Amino acid sequence: MKNLLLRNRYTLLVVTLIVYMGVLVTEGMITGREARGIEFENPYFDFNSTDFEGFRQRRSDSENENIRVEFDGTGDV
Amino acid sequence: MSNIVEAKSLTKNYGSFTALDGVDLTIPRGAISGLIGPNGAGKTTTLKALIGLCDVDGELSVAGRDPRIARHKLMEDVCFIADVGILPKWINVSQVIDYVEAVHPRFERKKAEKFLSTTDIPANKRIKDLSKGMVTQLHLALVMAIEVQLLVLDEPTLGLDIIYRKEFYDRLLNDFYDGNRTIIISTHQVEEIETLLSHLVFINKGKIVIDSSMSDLSDIYTEVLVDADKVDQADALQPLYVRKLLGKKSYTFESVPKEQLKTLGELHTPSVADLFVAKLKEIKYG
Amino acid sequence: MDKFALLQFYALLKREVLEHRNIFIGAPVVVALLLLVAATWVATQIDQSDLAGGLRFVSVLFDGLSPFDIAPFIMLLAIPFYLTLYVCSVIYLINTLYQDRKEMSVLFWQSMPVSNLQTVLSKIVAIVLVAPIFYVLIIFGMYLVAMVWLTVLGISNDVDLVGIGYLFLAAIASLVLIYISAVVTGLWLLPSVGWLLLFSAFAKKTPLLWAGGVFILVGFLEDFIFGTQFLANWVASRTSDPNQYLIFEFQSVFERVFNYDTLFGIVVGSILIAGAVFMRRFTD
Repeated sequence: MKNLLLRNRYTLLVVTLIVYMGVLVTEGMITGREARGIEFENPYFDFNSTDFEGFRQRRSDSENENIRVEFDGTGDV
Repeated sequence: MSNIVEAKSLTKNYGSFTALDGVDLTIPRGAISGLIGPNGAGKTTTLKALIGLCDVDGELSVAGRDPRIARHKLMEDVCFIADVGILPKWINVSQVIDYVEAVHPRFERKKAEKFLSTTDIPANKRIKDLSKGMVTQLHLALVMAIEVQLLVLDEPTLGLDIIYRKEFYDRLLNDFYDGNRTIIISTHQVEEIETLLSHLVFINKGKIVIDSSMSDLSDIYTEVLVDADKVDQADALQPLYVRKLLGKKSYTFESVPKEQLKTLGELHTPSVADLFVAKLKEIKYG
Repeated sequence: MDKFALLQFYALLKREVLEHRNIFIGAPVVVALLLLVAATWVATQIDQSDLAGGLRFVSVLFDGLSPFDIAPFIMLLAIPFYLTLYVCSVIYLINTLYQDRKEMSVLFWQSMPVSNLQTVLSKIVAIVLVAPIFYVLIIFGMYLVAMVWLTVLGISNDVDLVGIGYLFLAAIASLVLIYISAVVTGLWLLPSVGWLLLFSAFAKKTPLLWAGGVFILVGFLEDFIFGTQFLANWVASRTSDPNQYLIFEFQSVFERVFNYDTLFGIVVGSILIAGAVFMRRFTD
């Protein structure tokens, strides 16, 4: 069987493509895949250049928040 | 294991063309074996099959391994030089030495450098700027610095000047061969190597025609320069091949006892080249 | 893993870099030089004091933010390099298992005790992990030149050098993010890597045509046989959003790598890569 599948480059290509298609189609059927973009978030892509001050404020605040949270965790405040 | 190569019923087809048609081959350890055949006979296919570069059907064992399964393991014990320049064109001499040193566990850099110091090859030249003879010298230097059990050479001196060719075989015999290592050479320049060989394989149209040690050959094959009056007697013994030589007829016999032939004329062992032609042009009886 | 295996792999990577110096080093250097020339030209069109004013403004603007907050803006300067790396990667991958068969040097490479798996893996590591290192180093060189130039400008125009120094730190931070983005993108696009390698190993001629043609054909076949379009949907979903190629924060690295879509892509890529590894046996 293995010899049959790997006889030459053409059979190997066909076998690889069949496995590839099989996996994709099966996964598609299971997860109900539709044409959609996979959403990754990137806050910088939502960046509004006219609101730079607000952006700075938010970034500085979130930095301070992190520090505060850490402090809460380790200290006995 | 006394045989370094054991092959049975090797078959290879390229579409409708049969390159190997049930090849059986046995090559003893320590032999210098010549693989002789006309163009397209299957020499290159056989050699590539031995080193796992060509998938074939049949049973095959080289240095104890099946080349189709563990090629890269086999390559620790086997080296290969091909007829075409196979060293990469873009690499330079010192880079290829560095590479082989890093990937081959049995490579001894000092040996390679010693061989190279006797040539005119500069360390920083790219392969594409070297002559064909120098590329072969370099490849041989690399190969001779590796502790291998088997060296497979596919028409290694094709297209080289006579000086490079002579030097190639000199080095091979004097610096590489030590009685334990095996060399398999394919060539169609039979005369050049016939004095080196201890074992002979003829291949024609994908089939093995002779597979024998040189000493056995002289027992099996006899050439007779037959006197004019004995020609009919000679014909009756079913010669392998007949040709005209110096006004007389030269008969080549296979497996006919020498006692029977003594009466016909002068006996001698055919040269490899003559035997090659005789087998190719074999007269078919029946 | 023993030392010899590591040295072997290092030698394989070194081979890739030496063989493809144009892609690893040449292309990004050309891009860097072009950008510097363009920047110099633009600078000569603007009045020096205006330039200095702009520099001052930028230094003040970013005050209070950490270099890692500023870094993403500087990353935008690297977009030409991303595009170059992307194009070079496609060229590299489609040629790498084809070129040595075309010029017969495959017989030499395969006469060495290096397995087909090691060979193919070294090519993937070379383009996904090693190439971005070269690109980042060259971008660093470019930033260094720019920084020297800006410092000279700043000194002669009384701009606070601390602000410039801060920009430089941000530039360094951006290099780290650029490298991470490149590697994560490489992982994300592993199916494409595998597809290109498969056809690089398969084709006797014109591997790119094969790769593209079969891709289209397979899409049609799926529709024809199953009546579904999962392949097309899957590919579209993975390539359509620029968000997928850039990472601007360290915090998002983990979720970018260890999510279902990336991991499934790695599985699919592995199938294609395995095909390429087996395909290496056919050297004729």
